[in-house]
Amino acid sequence: MWVSVAQSSYTHQLILETGRFSFIALHERQSDIALACGTESGFTRDKCALLDLSLHEDNFLYLKGALASTACRVRTSKLVGDHTLFIADLLSGEMETRATVYRQLLLSDIQDL
Amino acid sequence: MILASRNIWDTRIQCVYSIVLGQEGTQIDAWACGNYGQVTLDPPRIIINPNRLYPIEGILRRTRRFSLNVMPAGALEEVLRFMRLRRREPRKTELMQWRLDEAHGVPYLPDALKTVFCEIEEILDTGDHTVMISRVAESRAHEAHAGEPPLMSREVFGGGMAPFQRQFRKILVKSGVLDAARAVWQKRRPPPSADIAETTYCTGGQTEDEVRQVLSYGGFDYSRGLRPPPSPHKPCRAVGVCVVGTHWGAFHCQLVRNANRSAHLFVCGRDRERTERLARSVNADDCFIGMDAAARDPRVEAVVLAVPAHQHRSATEICLQAGKHVLVEKPIATTLEDADAMIEQSHRFGRTLMVAEDMHYRPPISLVRKHIDAGDIGEPLHLLMHTGGINRPQGWAADRSRLGGGVFMDIGVHYVRAMRLLMGEPDTVSAFPAMQINTKMTGEDGLSAVFGSRYGWQAHLLATWSSNFGILPDIVVMGDSGTFHLWPRKPYVDYYPASPRLATRLVSYIRPYSLQARLTRPWFQRIRLRSGKDGTGYIAEMRAFLASVAEDQPAATPPEDARRDLEIVMAVYSASVSGSPTSIPQIQIG
Repeated sequence: MWVSVAQSSYTHQLILETGRFSFIALHERQSDIALACGTESGFTRDKCALLDLSLHEDNFLYLKGALASTACRVRTSKLVGDHTLFIADLLSGEMETRATVYRQLLLSDIQDL
Repeated sequence: MILASRNIWDTRIQCVYSIVLGQEGTQIDAWACGNYGQVTLDPPRIIINPNRLYPIEGILRRTRRFSLNVMPAGALEEVLRFMRLRRREPRKTELMQWRLDEAHGVPYLPDALKTVFCEIEEILDTGDHTVMISRVAESRAHEAHAGEPPLMSREVFGGGMAPFQRQFRKILVKSGVLDAARAVWQKRRPPPSADIAETTYCTGGQTEDEVRQVLSYGGFDYSRGLRPPPSPHKPCRAVGVCVVGTHWGAFHCQLVRNANRSAHLFVCGRDRERTERLARSVNADDCFIGMDAAARDPRVEAVVLAVPAHQHRSATEICLQAGKHVLVEKPIATTLEDADAMIEQSHRFGRTLMVAEDMHYRPPISLVRKHIDAGDIGEPLHLLMHTGGINRPQGWAADRSRLGGGVFMDIGVHYVRAMRLLMGEPDTVSAFPAMQINTKMTGEDGLSAVFGSRYGWQAHLLATWSSNFGILPDIVVMGDSGTFHLWPRKPYVDYYPASPRLATRLVSYIRPYSLQARLTRPWFQRIRLRSGKDGTGYIAEMRAFLASVAEDQPAATPPEDARRDLEIVMAVYSASVSGSPTSIPQIQIG
């Protein structure tokens, strides 16, 4: 899988340092989490402290109640403008069965708020 | 309940559903894309990553431009039809109302929620998928769907649940019933350990060797050029038609009557008594002794030639030169030279020349072809056909020099047409004659042919006058997602989907296996589909001919199609003599 992360972000710095990240798919009722994570920089505030995270094998963090959480290890990266494209291997993951009745959270859901 | 992700789709990466369109020359292709995303904001760029097995990957790689069409939730039905199409179908966009955008030089879907026109800046090779970093040239919202939610990939890949099914599932999930059932099941049968990479590879991934192997048969399957015609309408006026020949001709007289009750029917033969008897029995307007008399009569507009095969050319030429339209029995002629001369004469005199090939109009063939085009059998792989039965041909039909061959020329030619309609144009053939039982016949009385295509399909055709098949479908079409059985003269076809139907699934849970085997029935999987009232194409074929005469329109089946059938039969005979695979001359498909 691939993710594109702004080079100015704290997440970018952490992925570069560790070569790994967790990918969390939020559902339509989790816009508050998206807002909390997407409107403030990790340089100024520990955003993870607000989240109901759990530690999994190889120290990957998963989010409870999300549609799915996946452990990823960066295979290669590429600079694309002011972002970096990380192409990663999927190592393991889990999904919450009760969340499957919801669809993924869309950017437009947050814009509508 | 927490479940381990077993493959990449469990990660819920696929989100909003879209259709990507690309064009190279006249070839347009479409691809269902659920995993695109924004990569930079300024300038706006997105990434798509098509599977290398999809032909659109090559088109985008070379043309470096595409449109990404975000589909509205209301388009689920159309999208599901699109998703059933096979990957190598070259005419996918026939299902869609697409338009070409002149400014961007790519097709797009005006019925989409939004269209994003993109130019590919950079291509990254990342295994069996290709990452394409693309700059957004224009993002266009289509007002017809303003305010409508987008179609989500899970709706599409979930097979399109009906609303009540979705609600029922929601209740089961929210109440915890589904989790409880899953827990009980997993206690009995613990799931195998989750391995995302391995499971994803087994389900939908390819190594380099596998990609090469799959693509060696061509990204698109261009083998199907010939299509069954639409159902012909009744002729708009009474046509004066003369049937020449009093043996098989008697059958044609019935067809003329059934196809157009008001037709002015004439009969022509050599034997006066036999000819007059037939004329009386079919209530003909008049009869002629000798074909010249029929050709001279101004009441006769069209002629049906049911005469020996070696006379097809001379009889056709007499009629065309006299200004008559001609329907001639199959095979068109006994040699390609004769067929070419007949076609040339029909063009020169501006008259219709059509060959009586009922297979072209057989409704079950048309029905199955529609299902193949819709992707219902997946990739068409094998065609099994047999024809004949115990028969002792007499006279010219038993004489190779007058028929042009044996049983394969006589009736195998029908199934050559069936093969072309269902599978396409073959490239090679191997043929094997069986032991000759009827030694009074100079042509072969049993022959098997195996046709091959560079696009990966095969067709087996067995024609015999020396053995009986019993009760079997005469045509079986097999693909990786289903099978069709076509029965001789029956107005229905049987469809056997590859995925188990409900009854099959339920019986599969029965233990012990011996009891399961006793309860299993093949018809659990059968879906019988009706193709109309008539299981043959005879009346439709005659109606098409008479309609073309009445309306002065070209025949729905040009004689060139029958010439091609003859060319393939000739290749079968060459292969039979040489004992080795023989190339079949290629024709332009389009």
